[in-house]
Amino acid sequence: MKKIIKSQYFKITLLAVVILGAVSMGFILKDKYHDNTRHGAVRTSSDAFDRPEIPGLPAPDDLTKDVPVFGNWKNFTTKDGLPSDKCFCVRIDGDKVYVGTHDGLAVYENGKWRTYTTKDGLSHNGVVSVDVNEITGDVWIGTLGGLTKWSGGKFEVFNQFNSGMPNDLVYMVICDGRDVWCATGGGAGHYDTFTKEWEIFTEANAPMHEPWTYGVSAGDGKVFIAAWGGGVIEYNTKTKKFRDYTDPDGFMEIDLQPDDGVVHDITTATSWADGILWVSTYFGMSRYDGKYWKGYFDHDSGLASNFINFLRAEGPVAYVCSDNGLSSTNGTNWVTYKKNDNDANGVAIVTTGGVKKEIPLSPSIAHNFIIGVDAEDDVLWVATSKGVSRGEKIKY
Amino acid sequence: MKLQIRYTVVQFVIILVSLTGINAQEKAQNYGNIPNELVAYDKYMKAYKYHFIEPIEFYGAGREKKAPTDLKEVRIGFLGPLEGSILMNLGNQMLQGSILAIEEANARGGYKGIPYKLMVHNDFGLWGAAANEIVKMDDEKVWAWLGTIDDINSHVAIRATLKMEIPNVNTGDPDPTFTETNIPWVVRTIPDDRQSSYALVNRIFVKDGHKRVAMIRANNRYGRVGTLHFNRTATRLGFPVVIEERFSDGETDFTAQLERVKKSNPDAIAMWGNAKESALILKQIRAMGLKQPVYASDRVVSKDFLNIAGSLAEGVVTTCQYNPEADDPKLKKFKANYIKRFDMEPDVFAAHAYDGMNLIIQSVQRAGLNRALIRDVLTDMKISNGYKGVTGELVYDGTWNNIRPIFMAEVNNGKFEFYPAPKWEKEDIIYKKPAPRSTGEGYR
Repeated sequence: MKKIIKSQYFKITLLAVVILGAVSMGFILKDKYHDNTRHGAVRTSSDAFDRPEIPGLPAPDDLTKDVPVFGNWKNFTTKDGLPSDKCFCVRIDGDKVYVGTHDGLAVYENGKWRTYTTKDGLSHNGVVSVDVNEITGDVWIGTLGGLTKWSGGKFEVFNQFNSGMPNDLVYMVICDGRDVWCATGGGAGHYDTFTKEWEIFTEANAPMHEPWTYGVSAGDGKVFIAAWGGGVIEYNTKTKKFRDYTDPDGFMEIDLQPDDGVVHDITTATSWADGILWVSTYFGMSRYDGKYWKGYFDHDSGLASNFINFLRAEGPVAYVCSDNGLSSTNGTNWVTYKKNDNDANGVAIVTTGGVKKEIPLSPSIAHNFIIGVDAEDDVLWVATSKGVSRGEKIKY
Repeated sequence: MKLQIRYTVVQFVIILVSLTGINAQEKAQNYGNIPNELVAYDKYMKAYKYHFIEPIEFYGAGREKKAPTDLKEVRIGFLGPLEGSILMNLGNQMLQGSILAIEEANARGGYKGIPYKLMVHNDFGLWGAAANEIVKMDDEKVWAWLGTIDDINSHVAIRATLKMEIPNVNTGDPDPTFTETNIPWVVRTIPDDRQSSYALVNRIFVKDGHKRVAMIRANNRYGRVGTLHFNRTATRLGFPVVIEERFSDGETDFTAQLERVKKSNPDAIAMWGNAKESALILKQIRAMGLKQPVYASDRVVSKDFLNIAGSLAEGVVTTCQYNPEADDPKLKKFKANYIKRFDMEPDVFAAHAYDGMNLIIQSVQRAGLNRALIRDVLTDMKISNGYKGVTGELVYDGTWNNIRPIFMAEVNNGKFEFYPAPKWEKEDIIYKKPAPRSTGEGYR
């Protein structure tokens, strides 16, 4: 054996094998590290995609559409009086704040929490969505088991058995003037609080494949339904006509062009403000100004994660609830909040004109899994899977 | 000298072969077993973003929750069509497979001495109702649930399971889009219609050489989504389906559809629907004098189909998600126990439910009574991926969808015979490439 190893032929063979091996591994590594298009998750910057500039986006230094930074966070959990740490939604109503949790509705007023459950008249303890009617002050509460109107201290329950509700699982409820809209597991429902009549929108009378609605928002005479698997359904309340927005490529496993429409058909929320429609999905986010779509992903923007549970726009800024942090954007600049894994602190990552700056936060938001958000004036409330957080606008 | 040259050659070959092996293992695989030739738009441009390459993480809270200490039973949810549905035969098989797994687990001592209890919920088939059943399961405090078959109801249910964060194992819904929802609480153990479509298209157009195929399908989501990849794949091969006819569940007279099929002059006919309607269509195809070979979706692998179609079923080719006749001691034992317990043969839904429920039980045993930790085990690529059940191995893709190789099924002498679906070999593809352009360019 030693003789063979020492032989000239063995050395030549070994050299040939090493060279072949190196060449072979070169191919493997090339395939592994450079062909990250189909086999990898995203294109790299060196593999640039021909993505034209979208007109109409705010300039990075446009102070009129600035993205505020929130700090001085205060976090609330069951230790502070919440019925559950799992918070699904939050809605600000003047001096009151409504927080929907897995185990009841929590109301924050004068620095104290009070809980309401089925014992008080709620249709179900799992409170998923809350909105307040600006005309009447009534509070509409979407739960895992029906819709509840809270008016004059009394709770009134709407469900499939006593009303024209499409389904008892209410993922989202909104008030739009005299109208109440809800997105449910069995279609979108519209309730006229004046006539007390219900309308149901499903695949039978709207451009949906299936009646799987998950979110709804309204503004400027239009209603935008996030139809899970069906993109966005726009309903014009004056003309009573629909139009739908879907991902034009028609494939679930890709986004062919990021700016050709909504980035994916599985939409989770819509929000309309300042003439801009914002759409969230579990695959990224879209912005639509009525003429141009723009898609945002975590690899090409300040977005915390592509898996987005919910979003809400206030003025020029959209607040985006992802599974790994809270982001806010005006379409150009970003502020993303992330809590540290091992302590209560975190950072606000400010991205302006492509330049990133980190602002330390102590404490930070309660948890990075964000489910709900609401902003009013200089205050931001955030519902997370481990409590609810209140932040104040800060200078940086 | 000659001896040394021989040694050299032998050494060279041995080392080269081992290097080839390394290369083979490193071969990249597309999401969902999509053949390279069928990657969406790939002949024209690369997509900006490819989803489902890697499984997504669950970043939410919940793993820190302590297990309750006062439980008298460990509840596992079940959702399936048991009453008031055309799928109730399949649903009852699914329930029985689940019951058998639960009973065996309890005979082994349950979870640390606490018995498992199946919380059974009927999948009414009304849109939206499935979501309400999941809410009830949350109220019942189930640790995980199994179900369902109907793809509409499955979709509705998993949205609810995401909201309430309850792990779900699906063992009966073949809708390819089911796991494409990107929900980190859902896994599927039964191979989907994407795999069936590739196998059928490969057989019909590539192996059997047909060029004009007529499709007659159920006018529901099962038919629409099930044929989606079949039609797309056939078109990409250069053989778009010549006509697509539809029928309703429960329909018995298909004359109008088949007259149109006849006029389209197909050289083969494909059916995508439930066993009963497919058998009736087959009978009426032959009654009209149409002699074309008939292919079908995997729902025909049932006694109902063979009983109704009789001798006309001979030669019908379909797919099956596993090999029910495999010479596997585990499968044989399951079949014997199932027949002893329920006095009937298990079908594909019973076998997959048995595996799915055992997967849940294994995850609970390993993770303890915590939904997030059970989810972690169910979706763990090192633990659950590769799980060997009576239906075969679990091979997850990036959406926790089982993409293990499936089987062809062909009726011969009154019974289905099963054999592995041939692999989609690139050299077998009859790909109609366009003639080179004047510039000399072809594709790419």
